Amino acid sequence: MGLKEMAVLQKLINSVLEQLESELDLENDCLIVKLNGLLHQDDKIALKSITAQMQLENAVGDRVFGTFAENLSFLLSCLQSGADRSCKSMVFILEEFDLFCHSGRTQTLLYNLFDITHNKQAPMCVLGITNRLDVMEMLEKRVKSRFSHRHIFIFPNDNIKSVDNYKVRLIQLLSVPLCLTRKCGGTTKKKRGGRRKSAITEEEMEVELNDDTIQYAVPAKVLTRCRVNSKKFQEFDENSLVYWNSHILSLLENKDIVNALEKLCYFTVNEQIFRNILLAEIAPDKTSNIEGLFGELSWLEWSMTCPHAKNALDFQVVSRLNETSPHIDVAGFVTVIDNTVGPEHRVKVLQSLSILELSLVIAMKQGMEIFDGQPMNFEMVLHRYKKFVDKNSSTQTVPRPVILKAFEHLQELEVIMPVRSTDSIYCTGDTTTSGVQKEYKLYTLAVPEHDLKEAVKTSKSLPTEISFWFNNEIF
Amino acid sequence: MKELLNKVPCRENQLNTLLDLFGEYDEPLPYSIFISGSMATGKTLCLTNVLDYLRYKQITIDCIECYSPKIIFETILAGLQDEDVEIKCESLSDLTNCLNKFGDDKITYEPIIIIFDRAERLRTMDQTLMCTFLRLREFCNLNICTVFVTHLAYDNFYFKIGALEPIQIFFPNYTRDELFKIIISNHKTFIDEMLRQHNIVEDILIELNEKQLFANFLNAFLSVFYRPCRDLIELQHMAQINFIKYCEPIIREEIKASDVDRLWRHITPVLKSSLAHLYLRISEGKPVSPSKENKTELQKLYNFENSLKEELMSTKTFAQSFELPYYAKFLLIAAYLASYNPPKEDKRLFMKNHGKQRKRLQQVKAKAKITEKLTTQLGPKVFTLDRLLAIFYAILEEKIGLTSNLLAQIATLVELKLIAGSKEIDLDTAKYKCIVGYDFINAVAQTVDFNVSKYLYDLI
Repeated sequence: MGLKEMAVLQKLINSVLEQLESELDLENDCLIVKLNGLLHQDDKIALKSITAQMQLENAVGDRVFGTFAENLSFLLSCLQSGADRSCKSMVFILEEFDLFCHSGRTQTLLYNLFDITHNKQAPMCVLGITNRLDVMEMLEKRVKSRFSHRHIFIFPNDNIKSVDNYKVRLIQLLSVPLCLTRKCGGTTKKKRGGRRKSAITEEEMEVELNDDTIQYAVPAKVLTRCRVNSKKFQEFDENSLVYWNSHILSLLENKDIVNALEKLCYFTVNEQIFRNILLAEIAPDKTSNIEGLFGELSWLEWSMTCPHAKNALDFQVVSRLNETSPHIDVAGFVTVIDNTVGPEHRVKVLQSLSILELSLVIAMKQGMEIFDGQPMNFEMVLHRYKKFVDKNSSTQTVPRPVILKAFEHLQELEVIMPVRSTDSIYCTGDTTTSGVQKEYKLYTLAVPEHDLKEAVKTSKSLPTEISFWFNNEIF
Repeated sequence: MKELLNKVPCRENQLNTLLDLFGEYDEPLPYSIFISGSMATGKTLCLTNVLDYLRYKQITIDCIECYSPKIIFETILAGLQDEDVEIKCESLSDLTNCLNKFGDDKITYEPIIIIFDRAERLRTMDQTLMCTFLRLREFCNLNICTVFVTHLAYDNFYFKIGALEPIQIFFPNYTRDELFKIIISNHKTFIDEMLRQHNIVEDILIELNEKQLFANFLNAFLSVFYRPCRDLIELQHMAQINFIKYCEPIIREEIKASDVDRLWRHITPVLKSSLAHLYLRISEGKPVSPSKENKTELQKLYNFENSLKEELMSTKTFAQSFELPYYAKFLLIAAYLASYNPPKEDKRLFMKNHGKQRKRLQQVKAKAKITEKLTTQLGPKVFTLDRLLAIFYAILEEKIGLTSNLLAQIATLVELKLIAGSKEIDLDTAKYKCIVGYDFINAVAQTVDFNVSKYLYDLI
């Protein structure tokens, strides 16, 4: 499961909430308590946050509670008001739900929340969001039995092909809404209580695509969040906006871009990564585009006009626009995608090793080949390396401490990983002394052979005898 | 902009990417950036210079200094506040609350950058910590961006729960030409360093200041050192030491500065020998500015340091520097033999009449051919006190009694960290392990005329 589900799910929840809010005026009727598994790591913190979100800090004061349940029921009783002692309805949203049922902690919070939902006095709903399918298995028995077992599964865009999805998103994210110049005031009127920056959701956008008048409207919330005056947008020149939008549309007709997008969706359907790419690509271009196209307005306002960018703001392609290149560069776009899908960081790390270090890695690889992947220690690697050096008189000899240092450097870069001595055949019986000397500590190679091959092949300044050694025989 | 590029040479690509991503003052920042690259490739240098140039608010957190989440949170909050206030922050939710409060007070959407240096340390803390920092922007209403600086690749960071992928920037190592360019731009510091150590006549100084001379030296230097080391800091340090040696004959007016060939011949053995000290940082121990009154004292210190250096340089002198007593030497050798010989073979190695084993010996030898399985490669094995004493008496020709004095020598060897084990001597349970290398033991054995290799199972 990727993060995508999570993101979509969160957006969905937000959008549902927003729509509900706009229709029902949720703020008054109902209380929303949001908890996040990342932030609220234990029950105490969660309870504090609940208290704060219910605005009951004053009521609690210095009171001391025996148990978690007592505290929670007190909070609920505080909310009850009026003659019939009815309580406002409540929605608990638990993000990163799996972290709440982490094995390390007792699931008191979940137990209590679920327990109260069965209680008639407080109308409430608990909504958990997670990207783990197996989350049910993590629940305690008593918690599981109280759970209503209503699941909603959301998968990324089953109905359309992901390439098409990317294409649509590209247009949506990069185009500038024309309506801005005309009816900027209108956006502020529309009440959109987006609680977080993801103000516009996919669902909404589909609606909006049909509905031309409010297309790409910037939510007021976003503007206030970024503290930008919406009036500024009215200064945009409409013609240049039209020009820009047509430029974006023309991008999709470019074969290279379409190919690159296809490649990307071959690797990932994660929308957040796609946004990152767009940002990297445009980041350099922006200043002038803004200056060239929209006068003195800066990129911020420009990006503001792309409301969907707000949820991630990570417009990698956008960040490359500048005075000299006011257009999105096709080649640049393709390279950014290439860099994202195939970063090959391990190969780069290997390439940046000095020749001595790389030789040690090769020596280790060959040693492990001979002994069926048995871990090796420094002495063995040194022995192999020495054998190689003896065969090639041209290589300079390096003293042992320097080689040891190079070996330690490899370990620091986690190119080689230490093996726990218990699961190796050599060190059984070593019980008296806690540690083994560093020369005899066993290591395995942590880089796959393929990466090493790639690194040796593409390395520029590598002496020929080393690549020969790598490719050919074992000494 | 030009200035920035001059300040950080050979890193145009990375600088531009960073500048592009951070953008202008009123623009939204990316969520998080992940910067990786080997040691001394200018990661932090680029980052801080870019941020200084942009004048963004930045908070740098060294993850070694801030070893617990609580300290990290408090450093972040302290960095945000302009004046010194007592800050208490226990958990992540406290942090986001404080950040939100801070954001509400602000009128502008000010960019804030949090840098985590040596971010690989974050992995040892709570799993969720780094996940949260990767998406910190989501949790608070600030224009905030987290930057992770580390020498590991992103692949080495794995999270059990899904994490937001950061934008990744990789800093490759400097190539040979780039190293040359950077070191040569520091020419002046090299000359200054030399002036501190030598009194130089004016016209020689002019000769030494020549760029060509330094370039020649650097070429020779890199041809030796580039192979084992790519660390700019270390290379610069070694170059400094060796450049002075390179210039010494010129200062003494033995070799002319223009005589490149002779200088080359003079420096190559020096470079070769100093290669042995790479990374070891054995100080030259030269007093910086010896004043008259304590000169003798300094001289003494200098001599001491020099002799210490000499001792450290070769295992032989190092081994002799212990000045062990005669029996202790034999005990140490016995310990070494006990550690590196299989107990099964003791009888054959140390007894005069060990019976006929000729036939089996060949099989054993054939097996022993596999070098990786040799004990000398696998490390020392544990042995008991009984075995140690038995071997000790076997290799010692004269007959001496087992006195408490002798046993005390074992304790001394343990104290000196030549043998690992418990200090108390308990005949029943004590187990030991010899932790010195072959070179060391050979040096010790030579002083008592003993041939170690004759008694080492791997070598016969």
